[in-house]
Amino acid sequence: MHACGNYDPLSTRREFLGRLGMGLGGLALSSLVNPALATGTDLIPRAKRIIYLFQSGGPSQFELFDYKPQVNAMHGQELPESVRKGQRLTGMTGFQNTLPLARSHFSFGQHGESGTWVSELMPHTAGIVDELCFVKSMHTEAINHDPAITFFLTGSQIAGRPSFGSWLSYGLGTENDNLPAFCVLITKDKGGQPLYARLWGNGFLPSQHQGVQFRSGMDPVLYLGNPDGVSSKQRRMQLDRLRELHQLKEGAPGWERIESRIAQYEMAYRMQTSVPDVMDLSNEPDYIFDLYGEDAREPGTFAANCLLARRLAERGVRFIQLFHQGWDHHGGLPSGIRVQSGETDQPSAALVQDLKQRGMLDDTLVIWGGEFGRTNYCQGRLTDVDYGRDHHPRCFTLWMAGGGLRSGFSYGETDDLGYNVVRDPVHVHDLQATLMHLLGIDHERLTFKYQGRRYRLTDVHGTVVKPLIA
Amino acid sequence: MNRFITGYILIAAAMLMFVGCSRAPEVSFNEQIRPILNERCVNCHGGIRRQGDLSLLFRHEALAAAESGERAVVPLKPAESELLRRVSHTDPKHRMPQDDDPLTPEQIQTLHTWIAEGAQWEDHWAYVTPERPALPGVSDPAWPSEPLDHFILSRLDEEGLSPSPEAECPVLVRRVTLDLVGLPPKPEDVRQICVDGGSYETYVDSLQASPTYGERWAAMWLDLARYADSKGYEKDIGRTIWRYRDWVIQALNDDLPFDQFTIEQLAGDLLPNATESQRIATAFNRNTMTNTEGGTDDEEFRVAAVIDRVNTTWEVWQGTSFACVQCHGHPYDPFTHEEYYEFFTFFNSTADRDLDSEYPTLPLFEEEVADEGSELIEDIAQLEEDIIARVRSHALAEERRAWETTLDQPEIIGRVRLMLQNEVKRVVATPEEQRGDGQQRTLDHIYASVSDDPQLERLRSEKVEKEQVLRTLNAVHTPIMQELPFRRRTHVFERGSFLLKGEPVEPNTPNALPPMPEDAPRNRLGMARWLVSRENPLTARVTVNRFWEQLFGIGLIESLEDFGTQGLERSHPDLLDYLAVSFMEDHSWSVKSFLRSVVISSTYRQSSRVTGELEAKDPRNRLLARGARFRLSAEQIRDQALYVSGLLSPAMFGPSVMPPQPEGLWNNPYDARRWQTSQGNDRYRRGIYTYWRRTVPYPSMATFDSPSREFCVSRRIRTNTPLQALVSLNDPVFIEAAQALAQRMLDSENPLEAGYTYAIGVAPDEKVLDTLGSLYNDAMTHYTEHDDDVTTLTGDQGSAELAGLTVVANAILNLDQFIMKE
Repeated sequence: MHACGNYDPLSTRREFLGRLGMGLGGLALSSLVNPALATGTDLIPRAKRIIYLFQSGGPSQFELFDYKPQVNAMHGQELPESVRKGQRLTGMTGFQNTLPLARSHFSFGQHGESGTWVSELMPHTAGIVDELCFVKSMHTEAINHDPAITFFLTGSQIAGRPSFGSWLSYGLGTENDNLPAFCVLITKDKGGQPLYARLWGNGFLPSQHQGVQFRSGMDPVLYLGNPDGVSSKQRRMQLDRLRELHQLKEGAPGWERIESRIAQYEMAYRMQTSVPDVMDLSNEPDYIFDLYGEDAREPGTFAANCLLARRLAERGVRFIQLFHQGWDHHGGLPSGIRVQSGETDQPSAALVQDLKQRGMLDDTLVIWGGEFGRTNYCQGRLTDVDYGRDHHPRCFTLWMAGGGLRSGFSYGETDDLGYNVVRDPVHVHDLQATLMHLLGIDHERLTFKYQGRRYRLTDVHGTVVKPLIA
Repeated sequence: MNRFITGYILIAAAMLMFVGCSRAPEVSFNEQIRPILNERCVNCHGGIRRQGDLSLLFRHEALAAAESGERAVVPLKPAESELLRRVSHTDPKHRMPQDDDPLTPEQIQTLHTWIAEGAQWEDHWAYVTPERPALPGVSDPAWPSEPLDHFILSRLDEEGLSPSPEAECPVLVRRVTLDLVGLPPKPEDVRQICVDGGSYETYVDSLQASPTYGERWAAMWLDLARYADSKGYEKDIGRTIWRYRDWVIQALNDDLPFDQFTIEQLAGDLLPNATESQRIATAFNRNTMTNTEGGTDDEEFRVAAVIDRVNTTWEVWQGTSFACVQCHGHPYDPFTHEEYYEFFTFFNSTADRDLDSEYPTLPLFEEEVADEGSELIEDIAQLEEDIIARVRSHALAEERRAWETTLDQPEIIGRVRLMLQNEVKRVVATPEEQRGDGQQRTLDHIYASVSDDPQLERLRSEKVEKEQVLRTLNAVHTPIMQELPFRRRTHVFERGSFLLKGEPVEPNTPNALPPMPEDAPRNRLGMARWLVSRENPLTARVTVNRFWEQLFGIGLIESLEDFGTQGLERSHPDLLDYLAVSFMEDHSWSVKSFLRSVVISSTYRQSSRVTGELEAKDPRNRLLARGARFRLSAEQIRDQALYVSGLLSPAMFGPSVMPPQPEGLWNNPYDARRWQTSQGNDRYRRGIYTYWRRTVPYPSMATFDSPSREFCVSRRIRTNTPLQALVSLNDPVFIEAAQALAQRMLDSENPLEAGYTYAIGVAPDEKVLDTLGSLYNDAMTHYTEHDDDVTTLTGDQGSAELAGLTVVANAILNLDQFIMKE
């Protein structure tokens, strides 16, 4: 009954607090915890929150993390049919009459005690490989951006399901009185595949579980700022009187509902202070900017967002979703990926190090990756200095760090030409199941009944990948 | 157990007797057995999963031998029924449900009795055509004013509760006005009824006659129709389909009966001599998304659109989550995977195919080219006929037959559009006299396009020329449904994937529901008529339940979208059936007439004031011992603020508008379009005319739970978040409203009283007035000393008074009693 409930009547204060995306500390937390989690499970939460550095567009594994000397050796030769086996291509290369293998323009080296191969494009990431857990055998079902990214973040290619962060907000609630449980940060002015509200949408969950986008600039959260000509002091005075107007009904039946209306306005007021406070990087010391890179001083950059992610994590935000667009290199890959790597390498590595030095890496999960990989063969014309790669859902690489994961570890393997997974495949639903497991959630039990059916993030699939767990 | 459920069991029992039992069975399948099976068994033994090759969904499955050779259920013979043996097994290794708590002894006994009595299956109530229940007796015959009141009061009698007194007149007037037209009443309307003794019923009639009525109710329908001004998916390019939105508003205002409303939207194009309006109505199903992302397979997304049409039809009219059946048999309800695709066939033969152009569309020409446009369209249609006539002429007969025989050659068939190749092969294989006109036409067209007959060449080029001219004329092109001249072959898609084609299927409706008439056409039109037939058990129930939810905040069955066996419990089963039958028979599907009967009822007119006892006993007001009280919808909150401040534009229809929204939200790199804030009165149009972009919904409305419209939504789940307070306190739209209301106040004799009265409909009491006064004084203290703030808030013509009143108005527009319908 609860799950399908109508969320309006605000019938009691406790219910109201429980239903509010940003509740009042412990009270809210205890009432938000999904009953499915508390009972009959021996799951021990290893992590409390997720910072997901989503690399939108599909970064090429060949230039970054999946070292394939055999592709280099066969550069320019046709992709053997024995490897492709007639599998589906996109409409962009499906009619191309030749599919020549393309070597990585960038060299690889082994790093850390783990000896992990990383390309020269990612020197900072290479420096922390012993903290990271690579999955080289990711695979997905979708071949075009929209269905693929929707699949990654909602568990279904078709619009309409709640996003990952919404599920966590629904399942675990919040640890902060004054901030949303689920925050979204998008690198500004990037271009590339568009991003849409659905990716942080609540689907059929109540809308307080949707992600709240934090933006650089005047109003970090929409409508946060008082109108021009109304000062903060005046707003306080106005809300006091508004409360008095509401309190005229004190003691009357239904009063608890009005009380929650008052609480709603008080929380809005507190957000007006707490959000600018978290966005204000001016008190961060110089060494932090040295760590994240000078870009971090410029609001809205990926570096600034990484730093902001740490600050939100410190304040107990449950799910911090970053997006960095621009990885869709159908052509001009060498120059394009150099720019992308330059923007993301240092801050991503810095975030992991920063969390570690604060003792937060133990209970924070960091994920770096896109919605699919790229082909080993060239899209468009293959020259010595330029080439492109098409979408490739059959294998790609992402890395993770923190909260209960093995570190200095690589999992899964692709074939010598990097076309198919040959060992330990990890499906998107497996990844989701594993991340939820680390948060103490049985992915089969965190469900919401809608249209007569219990839905979950992993649909009817997903297996926890135990070897990834420390 | 309450009387209605008891009554229901008696009816069910009577039905069972009719089936052949000599005495009434003790056990009801629907009430006692199905819940056990659904809760404890079918997760593993039904629909998707058939472990041990056993399904307990249908009787014939349960009675069949499973993998083990045993039969789970042997009617009349509990001792031979494996089901009983396994649920009562003492060894947990063999006991069912496996690895879970055993059934209770009572449950096992119930199963035992049921099997001993013959193990009859019953249809779920929702799949049985509703009959009109008798009006139940009530304790106070004077209370009911409408038949529906009997059902409400009789239930209250059973619970030992009494209805609340009628709401205070101004509260009731505000309630009914918001409910029927989505706007608050004018203070003079309140006065006319509450002071001067005007008739409530007459007022209701006037509300329903107002054009604003259609705008309010269209908002509900457009969520179901997934109406939006963009195509969806990644690029989410703009789409011109507002004529459909206008059609809905007009149809509601014209009170187009709901059966006709249904038929025109699902199959208006197939009606004889379909009018332009009826063809625009079919845009209902062109609100599906179109994927314009590079490299997508158009067939994949054409199929996705057809799937959406099937699922939407089932959700909107049948309250059934048919989407499950796309991939596998329904996990709980009696629908099979094959039946999904049989129904899919109805929608699978339209001409649209995920093209960027949104083909086919219906043009509406700008006035200065309207004549030229319609002339061209007629000419083109004539040329089309001339071409076919020429192809079929005696002169070309021989050449044409010869061409047909060459169609099996790859190089000839290769020139035919891929989509048509299979159809062409099939037509050629059919003897000429047995071909349908559509089939013949398809072939004729292809021949016409390749023949080098000079006359055909001339007709062709003339047609192309005219089509080119037509394209240059200024027109609004609305995507519509258009049937192909032939039927696409439909297969079952294994696991729902369009790449895995299974057995071919023919159009049909599912077996669990009453069949289509024998002579009905097996196309969308026949299907649409089937939905609104008197026999269809779901359409009327689902529809009246939606209207009920809009008025009372919660449906008689809360899960508007699911009437299946997993749906939530009905609060008043007999009332639901009564309203459904009454909607069809007494109101002849007239929505206005139906809504009128509800809003003039005693139930509806009750005060929403709650007592402590009632709150404790029925916190969610399912029993309706009081009136409804809930937060207004996203559109209503916006419209109301603009209306009471005098800003709301009464303009209706036309392209969607762009009221102010924060900068930088539209950053789609594929799309040069920008949010260009509308000028003049278009800033202040009703929310229903706001440009609805699926991937970037208008933020202030989304904050108040409006959906993205990427797919059909039956229910907006109302929430209450701090972000909403930020909208109504700070959104420039609300600030403009506060400024305008302040100006109205300033122009009044008693500004504070006037402001409150405009907003709430009644004058404030003394305490409220005092507090508003204190707020005003506080604000004045600031503004008399801060000229710069006065100018910023109220402009060059402003004053400290106006600034102070703006702060007061802003507070009034955030009062609980303003945001709520009481």
